[in-house]
Amino acid sequence: MCLSVSAERLRKVLVALTVFTVVLIAVLYWGRLEDLQPALRINLPRRWAVDDLWSWECESEQCVRREQRGARTSLATCRMQCGTAPLWPRPTEVSDLGSQSAPFCLQALRIEVHSVQIRALLEQAFAVFRGNLEALVPDSCSEEPDKGRLSDFMVSVQVESEDRDPLLTLSTNESYQLEVCRAGGSKLRAEVRAQSFFGVRHGLETLSQLVWWDDTSLRVLTRAHIRDAPRFAHRGVLLDTARNFLPIGALRATVDGLAACKLNALHWHVSDSHSFPFDSPRIPNMSRYGAYSPEQVYSARDVAGLVAYARVRGVRVLMEVDAPAHAGNGWQWGPNLSVCVNRQPWDLYCGEPPCGQLNPDNKQTYAVLGALYRDLVELTNVTDMFHLGGDEVNLHCWASELSGPVGHQELMAKWGEFQQRALQVLEVAMGGTVPAAVVVWSSQITRPPYAHLYLDPRVYVIQTWGASGWGEAPAVLQAGFRVILSHVDAWYLDCGFGDWRGACNPVVSWQTVYQHRPWTELEPRALVLGGEACLWSEMVDEHSLDAKLWPRAAAFGERMWADPDLDDLILRDAHGRLAVQRKRLVSRGIRADALWPQWCDQNPDSCLEPLDTDLKPVSS
Amino acid sequence: MKVAYLLQVLSAAACLCAAEDSGPGWQWSWACKSGRCVKSEYPISYASSRGISNITRKSQSACRLTCGQYGALWPHPTGPTTIGEQVVAFHPSIIRFDLLEVVDSGRGTREYLAACTQLFLDNLLVECGANCSVVSDTDVYVRLVTRSQDLTLNWNTDETYTLDIVTSSRVNSVTVNIRAETVYGARHGLETLSQLVARVPAPLGGGGRGHSSPRKHLLIMATNVRLSDAPIFRHRGLMLDTARNFLPLYAMKRTLDAMAASKLNVLHWHATDSQSFPLESPRVPQLARRRFGAYSSRQVYTPQDVAYLLEYARLRGVRIIMELDAPSHAGNGWQWGEAAGLGQLAVCVNQQPWRKYCIQPPCGQLNPTNPNLYRVLRDLYRDILDIFPRGEPLHMGGDEVYFPCWNSSAEIVNWMEARGQGRGQADFLQLWADYQSTALGTLDEEVGHSNTPIILWSSHLTEPGVIESFLNKDRYIIQTWVPASSSLPVELLAKGYRVIYSTKDTWYLDHGFWGSTVYHNWRVVYDNRIPRKAGVLGGEACMWSELVDNQSLDAKVWPRTAAMAERLWADPETRSSSAEARFYRHRQRLVTRGIRADAVSPAYCYQNEGECQ
Repeated sequence: MCLSVSAERLRKVLVALTVFTVVLIAVLYWGRLEDLQPALRINLPRRWAVDDLWSWECESEQCVRREQRGARTSLATCRMQCGTAPLWPRPTEVSDLGSQSAPFCLQALRIEVHSVQIRALLEQAFAVFRGNLEALVPDSCSEEPDKGRLSDFMVSVQVESEDRDPLLTLSTNESYQLEVCRAGGSKLRAEVRAQSFFGVRHGLETLSQLVWWDDTSLRVLTRAHIRDAPRFAHRGVLLDTARNFLPIGALRATVDGLAACKLNALHWHVSDSHSFPFDSPRIPNMSRYGAYSPEQVYSARDVAGLVAYARVRGVRVLMEVDAPAHAGNGWQWGPNLSVCVNRQPWDLYCGEPPCGQLNPDNKQTYAVLGALYRDLVELTNVTDMFHLGGDEVNLHCWASELSGPVGHQELMAKWGEFQQRALQVLEVAMGGTVPAAVVVWSSQITRPPYAHLYLDPRVYVIQTWGASGWGEAPAVLQAGFRVILSHVDAWYLDCGFGDWRGACNPVVSWQTVYQHRPWTELEPRALVLGGEACLWSEMVDEHSLDAKLWPRAAAFGERMWADPDLDDLILRDAHGRLAVQRKRLVSRGIRADALWPQWCDQNPDSCLEPLDTDLKPVSS
Repeated sequence: MKVAYLLQVLSAAACLCAAEDSGPGWQWSWACKSGRCVKSEYPISYASSRGISNITRKSQSACRLTCGQYGALWPHPTGPTTIGEQVVAFHPSIIRFDLLEVVDSGRGTREYLAACTQLFLDNLLVECGANCSVVSDTDVYVRLVTRSQDLTLNWNTDETYTLDIVTSSRVNSVTVNIRAETVYGARHGLETLSQLVARVPAPLGGGGRGHSSPRKHLLIMATNVRLSDAPIFRHRGLMLDTARNFLPLYAMKRTLDAMAASKLNVLHWHATDSQSFPLESPRVPQLARRRFGAYSSRQVYTPQDVAYLLEYARLRGVRIIMELDAPSHAGNGWQWGEAAGLGQLAVCVNQQPWRKYCIQPPCGQLNPTNPNLYRVLRDLYRDILDIFPRGEPLHMGGDEVYFPCWNSSAEIVNWMEARGQGRGQADFLQLWADYQSTALGTLDEEVGHSNTPIILWSSHLTEPGVIESFLNKDRYIIQTWVPASSSLPVELLAKGYRVIYSTKDTWYLDHGFWGSTVYHNWRVVYDNRIPRKAGVLGGEACMWSELVDNQSLDAKVWPRTAAMAERLWADPETRSSSAEARFYRHRQRLVTRGIRADAVSPAYCYQNEGECQ
């Protein structure tokens, strides 16, 4: 029919359509504007005069608050130039750190890439670095000409490895070397050199911590020589998105925090018996039946996006679909994939409501598991590490639901068989290879005699979560397994917030987190891959996530990266530096909990326990 | 041909938008069974429809709205309450308020309630969210009736109200009647009405207009409602400390929003402490603005800020009681005396090693022997009186005086010696009592009478054995901060003192994060009962701010303080386990209203009422 219409009419129709479309766009655009307006109103920056109340002076390596008379030194400047620089985590080797600094504007920043094969990745990491500096700036750089201001701040990055697609693994060399020096006139040069991309990323993080906001402009220390390397290869934080859903934005913010503390793994406990929010491309029924609502899901795109976001920040994402226990809601779509789902009275069939445990006798269960593993492997690009879950199987549930033997040994054998078949489907999902580290939680099956019967120490890594006094880790190490430590009494950040299910107590303070060094008594230490701080989400969602995670996870970060000795001086020093790191996290949009009264920020030395008195504590 | 190409691109874009719009066509559903909302076993899919469809009616929030005796109300009403199953869909823009029966001969009651209705509408719009469908089939009239013209908000204010909703199916209209003695009762009625409203998913095909969105919502209101309500306790408070860490004004406003949502009526503002003095005093600028007490020049509360906050609170049925803690807990801010020729106004300020002079750094305690101190206090009181309503109580602090500090000051010791006093416990107690009576006398002179109620923390001065020799029971109200097991409050009541409970081992919100204290979860907070006796004004939750600032304030205060709010408003015989479903819903409400309240259970337990017990 169109052919018979004259060109004139066609033109008219086209014009009419175009007009209509333009109007439509205008209307839509106007609608968007309306949506944006309140946000704009709220975020209007208020210009503040430079604070004129206090000034700080450096006295015997401590910043002391004074009434301001004449020239002012801001607290931030004093903190950077007086005593140990507040870097977090503390670098393992600082051979030279000047106390001179220079003001600069972001415009002066430039990057020089020596490793062209991963130029794009390095430029992304540099953009993150630059964004972190930008976050320090409450106002734009003042227009007043400043004599000492840098005209050029060149950041040169160099990666020695030829790897074109760097992925973080347990054997990645994360060490780096950072040198900052004047390059003549008003030029500054920072060189970051590392074996791997991830080392360079850490170096940029350290460099960002040599920069601070000083009343009217950014400043940077003008001389530094730092060689730094982590003490442990695996430095993780566990987030649980099954008990309560966490929006992808909250996970990204957490990655920002991890990066700021040089933690390198986000262990994502994505599903549990409560819910299954991962929208698996292969098995869409999982989230359809398992999500709290259609909005509370993670699409494949969300996951892939997070993985990429994390990589630029030196973090890898390890997703865990817990099995065979902790699996209920989400599995109801198929007949008997999971048993005891939502069964009551729950305390007979699981440790925490709602119940649910995979059916080890159902072939389909393994098929589904295999498909899920395939999705996870593809989306997270893991090559050497995979978490199978594997904790807290309730044998009573299986005994009551499955036909066949009900004796303890037989049920353990059933569990062992499940583990074996899960490993087989994982192998298939990974294209025929078993990853170097298959992680499971410590549980009955990781203890003698079952560990030897059902788990191969060359394959399995045990994440031990029992209290440090339980002796789990020593036993597992002795049996030849590698371990990741997550002691409930030191590194479970959800403890103490209530008796919702007879949860652990008390709340662990950052000091408890920081002072925990279980490896000093563990043999062989080479088998300790690292540790994870865990935030199970029964009592947390995106609204209180930051307050519960930070700054305690930061304390954990330094323990895992630098593992400093413990004495009073080091603890005092750590307290002051952590207070600065907390501010850094807040500047990057993380709502970290407060460490002490602001008076103590301003008078750091006066709030700490005196070192040289024998005064007894007074209880209040 | 470029135009055609452009059109192609555009239509492709339009298709994409439309695809996004359609959203998933499945949803869980809920049904009310013997007071519980029970979730469906499987998700069900919905066909498009108009009006209140199944997807609307069977959503969780719709179920909770009318399920059980008290539906979604928090705190629950104390009088007879019926909430029927009937609901109507409506949009806030079609609500008409009738204030003709608000008695007002120019005192401002009508103006007050007009402002309240605006806040009420704001809450509804927030509840409905960004994709709120306009439903115009039903007209809603809200008729407010109040008799008293008194705008005073104090312990004698009558906060009772009744609320009933009448539907007329013939003309498709709903009439809400809220009757109260005072405007504050009517405000509570509006708050309750806002909780008789829920956001539900709009029918997939129907309703709405304009540019599209992933999922539209609409508001429904329960329409078969009749209830009467009055609080059990008249002092229902929250204490905020702005001295250990500064709280920006917007943090305090947010807190007041949450208090209003929970029908709390007192914000106890612990404004100053030894760490900082952020309160700007025009007559004594040295305290804050001129560098002595504030953390920085922008971390201060100007008189305008305070006045603004008072009005903000009043519109939410909350009054603010100011605390100027003294003679202890006073240091930074008071250091300028000697330089100004007034002598030492405070002693031990920032003295080290701190464990010798106080129980928490930095040290500092007022110098009661310096007559100039009272001149400064007089000016400070005048500034407070300028801003606060007449007759408002003053909290004079009075806790944790540390005698070794005074004992370390030559000036104080000599002064006592000159009066023939020793340096024993009793002597210092007397010194403290003398300070208190001189400070009170100074305040009374400025007020012009001696009827201002004074609140003091429990302390050595308020020990049952000695209190009567120091503190007049008609003037002083004692805020006890002892464990639930302590007999102190009961003993003070027996002596005729009025008491405000801040049960330390349940209502101290800072516990769990320092020393050997334990965190009190919402159940512990809820289950703390205080006696209903004459003399018991009520209670307060306390948020000391050593380990909290704006970043984590909400997570530590809410929703736990809301748990206390129901205890103080309704004082139910039942325990927290019976309040779970409503409490989880209220937490959700606080979140919707912009408060970053902590999570108190897995979402599973919220969605599956009673399954986690």
